[in-house]
Amino acid sequence: MAEKKKATTKKTESKKEDTKKVAPVKQEVKKQAAAPAAKPKAAAASAAAPAKATVGSTTKQGDARIGVFICHCGTNIAGSMDIEAVQAYAKTLPNVAYVDNYKYMCSMPGQSVINKAVKENKLTGVVVAACSPRLHEPTFRTATKESGLNPFRFEMANIREQNSWVHMHDREGSTDKAKDAVRIAVAKAALLQDLFPKSVPVEKAAMVVGAGVAGMQAALDLAAAGIKTYLIESDMSIGGRMSQLDKTFPTLDCSQCILTPKMVDVGRSDKIELMTWSEVHEVEGYIGNFDVTIRKKARGVMTPKEAEAKGIVGGGCNGCGDCEAVCPVVKPNEFEIGMKPRKAIYINHPQVVPLIYTIDFNSCVKCGLCVTACGPEKRAIDLEMKDEFVKVKVGTAILATGYDIFPIEKKEEWGYKRFENVITSLEFERLICASGPTGGHLVRPSDGQTPKRVAFVLCAGSRDNTGTGKPYCSRFCCMYSLKHAHQIIEKIPGCVPYIFYMDIRSFGKMYEEFYYRIQDEGAKFIRGRVANILEDPKTKNLHVMTDDTLLNRPVDMEVDMVVLAAAIQPKEDTNRTRKLFGVSCSMDGWLLEAHPKLNPCGTTTAGVFLAGVCQGPKDIPDTVASAEGAASAASIPIHMGEVELEPYFASCIEEKCAGCGMCVNLCPYSALSLVEKDGRTVMQVTEAKCKGCGTCGGFCPGGAIWMNHFATPQIVAQIDAFLLGGEQ
Amino acid sequence: MIIMARTKGYPEALEKKLRDQRYYREDSNPDFTKNVKAISRTIPHMCYQCGTCTGSCPSAPRSSYRIRHFMRRAVLGLENEALTDPDLWLCTTCYSCSDRCPRDIIPTDVIMAMRNLAFKRDIVPVNFLKTVQAIYSSGHGVPNNDVNRAAREKLGLTRDPPTTHMYPEYIKGIQKILDHYKLKANADRIVKEREG
Ligand SMILES: Cc1cc2nc3c(=O)[nH]c(=O)nc-3n(C[C@H](O)[C@H](O)[C@H](O)COP(=O)(O)OP(=O)(O)OC[C@H]3O[C@@H](n4cnc5c(N)ncnc54)[C@H](O)[C@@H]3O)c2cc1C
Ligand code: SF4
Ligand code: SF4
Ligand code: SF4
Ligand code: SF4
Repeated sequence: MAEKKKATTKKTESKKEDTKKVAPVKQEVKKQAAAPAAKPKAAAASAAAPAKATVGSTTKQGDARIGVFICHCGTNIAGSMDIEAVQAYAKTLPNVAYVDNYKYMCSMPGQSVINKAVKENKLTGVVVAACSPRLHEPTFRTATKESGLNPFRFEMANIREQNSWVHMHDREGSTDKAKDAVRIAVAKAALLQDLFPKSVPVEKAAMVVGAGVAGMQAALDLAAAGIKTYLIESDMSIGGRMSQLDKTFPTLDCSQCILTPKMVDVGRSDKIELMTWSEVHEVEGYIGNFDVTIRKKARGVMTPKEAEAKGIVGGGCNGCGDCEAVCPVVKPNEFEIGMKPRKAIYINHPQVVPLIYTIDFNSCVKCGLCVTACGPEKRAIDLEMKDEFVKVKVGTAILATGYDIFPIEKKEEWGYKRFENVITSLEFERLICASGPTGGHLVRPSDGQTPKRVAFVLCAGSRDNTGTGKPYCSRFCCMYSLKHAHQIIEKIPGCVPYIFYMDIRSFGKMYEEFYYRIQDEGAKFIRGRVANILEDPKTKNLHVMTDDTLLNRPVDMEVDMVVLAAAIQPKEDTNRTRKLFGVSCSMDGWLLEAHPKLNPCGTTTAGVFLAGVCQGPKDIPDTVASAEGAASAASIPIHMGEVELEPYFASCIEEKCAGCGMCVNLCPYSALSLVEKDGRTVMQVTEAKCKGCGTCGGFCPGGAIWMNHFATPQIVAQIDAFLLGGEQ
Repeated sequence: MIIMARTKGYPEALEKKLRDQRYYREDSNPDFTKNVKAISRTIPHMCYQCGTCTGSCPSAPRSSYRIRHFMRRAVLGLENEALTDPDLWLCTTCYSCSDRCPRDIIPTDVIMAMRNLAFKRDIVPVNFLKTVQAIYSSGHGVPNNDVNRAAREKLGLTRDPPTTHMYPEYIKGIQKILDHYKLKANADRIVKEREG
């Protein structure tokens, strides 16, 4: 979907029709007012040559009369080309009835130049030569509409991004290129038709994928706005990474204490339909009408609701844990990063929401002991449970799939997984947390001793261009390492934290103050990236090697324990999920926002939004802010009740259609079908499904498919205008 | 002048220390950065001074050599400072720094490039030149000796390795290469100038 939108915006250019050739189309168009599918007959065959009418002849009533408006964009455009020359050239083009230029066409005065010119010169189409249609096509469409024309009688010539900015030092070349762009736009503008966007109703429900703090916040906001929200979480519990943390910078409030109430609210809300141990399987449709199939992975345990649906009244899992006690299978608990055991039937931790046990069927031996322990009243356990597929309809969706820790053992020089006392910061969080595997006692994995000297290695795998690490800054590791330093100073008297850093990035509100505080508490800061770590095989102590760059002196520091502030990367499975929703990602895998500054929560797929770390590293304050932004954006179409679809769909010219059906299978969006009409088989377009990608239109051997706004005659006119140059 | 007055009577070293060391003196040369980049075929201008190289360097803890310092000089174009620093010749070319540099720079090759530029100005320690002479005459920078021969025998190896030591007829080829680059002639000339 993303690609499609890009393609359309790029090509949109304004035109007018040349009556001589397009008159039949015009009549058609009038008929279409109610049902906008244009079915031009004659036009498709004729207008292959560019309009030959002279400026003089366009003054005749009914001819295409195009107005060309050239924008200076301050000096952005005017600084690199000769606007006067472009203007003089535009005046010589066929069908051009008016030409003007202005310092900022997009400004109010600029738009009134268009308005006035259209009215005074009876223009039939508008061409603005300015920036990218991505930026201002909507602006100028509105201006065209306000001047009394159909908004689709507008075409944009990009002479900024694709011209003045890239040919800044070639005045002559960019002037020539601008002339080409204007000529091409005018050629299309002369053939443009009136089009009428369709409105479709928006389903009054939303979906949030991923229930970390981002997804939970977004779901709570949507629910508070009265919107039914499906919250899909692949793990057994909501909470995400934040539920693994002990305290949170810079205020040092306990993570569970601020998160658990939110988790409870999510579980309790009657507007939120929580689906844990579930994932998105398939997505069809478009903004306002997404049909989403959810795979409920077989959990082996029924909720009280599910039990009741099966006729087991008063049954279902109540979280008593009797099953867990009898299960003979022991596995490492992933939530505790393997530092604590769990059974084959288990919960991540005591605060899970929902409090329902889950069977790991990869390790369950189906002994049935748990079934017996659970007992005949609850009968919660079903060892034969299968995955289930549930279909829901939503108007908008938010992705909040979060992150994973980069497998830092790939940076071999730091010895993670080779040296027992080298741990990651996420393991540190579990070890320092009172509900963690050691009850909050930080100990060395090698011997259970309390460390007295702890090294923190910052930028471990971040800001790394070797191809083995991540080129970006992971953004919260500086701050949580400061927090970790504080925690050991507080918990272990006499223990000294050594922080090996390149820069301390304490950019947030009260963050620099936090840095000051931790330094004051006694943390030692050594400015040098750690080159390598060696283990003393006897003591299992570690030698941290670096350069104290401020002293210009190599350092070999012996410590008891090393904590790697490992880089983060998108959660596994993000790629599959994002593709289902047609969302792009940037080179590093983070999901791509519609605009990094002006639309950070939106995506290029209408109706799909991003929240939290899935869009790029964010600490909790930024995550929650982005979640609230996404929720607000996702609720707008729902509150509007209907959305306009761009009228760029395909339509069938039935007289030409041979009913071969080859296009039907080509359409990536299943928008086409064959129907019987007047005793013959012809193709039919489901307009709401068609994305206007043009696959079918370019393919049809009989030329029977008309792509609105990108019709064959329009495109041919553009190509001709380009190839034939100014000589008509 | 003021410095002269202030340091009057103090040893030269202190005078040098107190010299105005602001970066862009007349001897800082932007072309130096470019030349080093071209010769080394790596990206010294991308160094962000993290210290991983010096932290990896086996030479650093045993000497005053700081590879990161040379990277900084490459970034700033401090040509004279880099090329006249005798530490330039203390890299062992082990490539540990190059293995680990997070910016994917090859600091070892930067050092090699600087050594090339230094040699063009006849700045090169005599022991390096003597190595050239040794290679010219024997094909080895460190020719075999009796101690090694005995050790080799003990290990069940031939007294001489299967190199120019065993096949002295190939020394001619090596000499041809060195002559082509005028390495030997230059080495002889500089050694003579220095040692008389
Ligand atoms: C060691 C450490 C310490 C930290 N300390 C702090 C701190 O003190 N203060 C602070 O502000 N920040 C801290 N952070 C950052 C904090 O963890 C993040 O800002 C926050 O967790 C981001 O939340 P999220 O919801 O975006 O992502 P996540 O917490 O990763 O949540 C994503 C959720 O989506 C689910 N999911 C993923 N993919 C799918 C899918 N395809 N389908 C369905 N569900 C899916 C996941 O299971 C998960 O529940 C720390 C991070 C680390 C690593
Ligand atoms: S059936 Fe599976 S989950 Fe239940 S007790 Fe046996 S091994 Fe554990
Ligand atoms: S937040 Fe700090 S430690 Fe983390 S990558 Fe950025 S600079 Fe490095
Ligand atoms: S390791 Fe690379 S980036 Fe770091 S100081 Fe050395 S050369 Fe510069
Ligand atoms: S290659 Fe040279 S500079 Fe690099 S680590 Fe080895 S000795 Fe040091």
